Amino acid sequence: MDATLKLWLVIFIVGALNYASRLSFIAIFARRSMPPLLARALKYVPAAMLTALILPMVIDWDGGATDFVTPKIVAALVAAAVAFATRSTLKTLGVGMTALWLLQWAWA
Amino acid sequence: MRRLFASKDFREGFAEMLPACLGLMPFGVVCGVGAAAAGANWLASLGMSAIIFSGAAQILAAQLVAADAPLLVIVLTCVVLGLRFLMYSAAMAPYMKKLPAHWQKGLAFLLTDQAFAVAIRRFNASEDHQGAGLHFLGCGVALWSVWQITCMAGFLAGNLIPATWSLEFAVPLCFLALVAPLFRDMPSIVAAVTAGVAVFAMSHLPMRLNLIAAGLLGILAGTLADFARERWTQR
Repeated sequence: MDATLKLWLVIFIVGALNYASRLSFIAIFARRSMPPLLARALKYVPAAMLTALILPMVIDWDGGATDFVTPKIVAALVAAAVAFATRSTLKTLGVGMTALWLLQWAWA
Repeated sequence: MRRLFASKDFREGFAEMLPACLGLMPFGVVCGVGAAAAGANWLASLGMSAIIFSGAAQILAAQLVAADAPLLVIVLTCVVLGLRFLMYSAAMAPYMKKLPAHWQKGLAFLLTDQAFAVAIRRFNASEDHQGAGLHFLGCGVALWSVWQITCMAGFLAGNLIPATWSLEFAVPLCFLALVAPLFRDMPSIVAAVTAGVAVFAMSHLPMRLNLIAAGLLGILAGTLADFARERWTQR
């Protein structure tokens, strides 16, 4: 499939499904309350999904002898500590990027 | 639009949202950079920010399109990520019941965790549902507008900034800013560790299916840990 066409299909389908999720309990299931099990499970969507997205961007996994001391991993750990303490996107980005640049320079 | 800005409630919502918008600007820029890196043209980049209107989903969609994953896998993975909107929708529903149906349908599109956090205070404090609805609309319009501008700025910058700056590293950093503060809660840590181990353990799966599989396993583990904690504290 052509990449541009695919991107537009993704935009409209994901956009529509996101809208349906946003509308769900406001209008579609307005008469129902959230099932307790669903409410419990949904709390863990961000922690699980975001971690699954983050780690492959930080760790270059090759199945076996992976190097765990790289500029990206060290910078990510530093940034995670800042994020945990401050909850600030701006500070996390600032410290994380600076750490990466310094470490890459020091490694080279 | 002029009539909207004549409304005090709308203007207040718009103004109260701006500090939160400031915090989201770097994330928006990163989303625009991600769209540029995935080979989107400016119109597709705008389509992503205007229609999908969810930073994490925009970045994920851009990366999966760039990795040439099948349409169905891209959609399913984004849907799992978007499940959290069910949570915001349920939280907002009791406050929106008194509003006319077309207001509900319009405001739902603007529902994000940041707009929700600001708007809920007015809904709690005020008996004037119409006014609170206008206030929420002000919040949503402010956030949506700032989001379009910052994503477009990122898209334009992404095509100019040299690769040696490693700007792609800003994507995991933005996600880290969202996820690291959750690690004060035991079941969230269990969910994250499970998903993190699973995403590498299943990295041999085709079509980046390891993302969705790891996400679902993490959600399951977090839920089980939540039940275990409840049983433990009841003793």
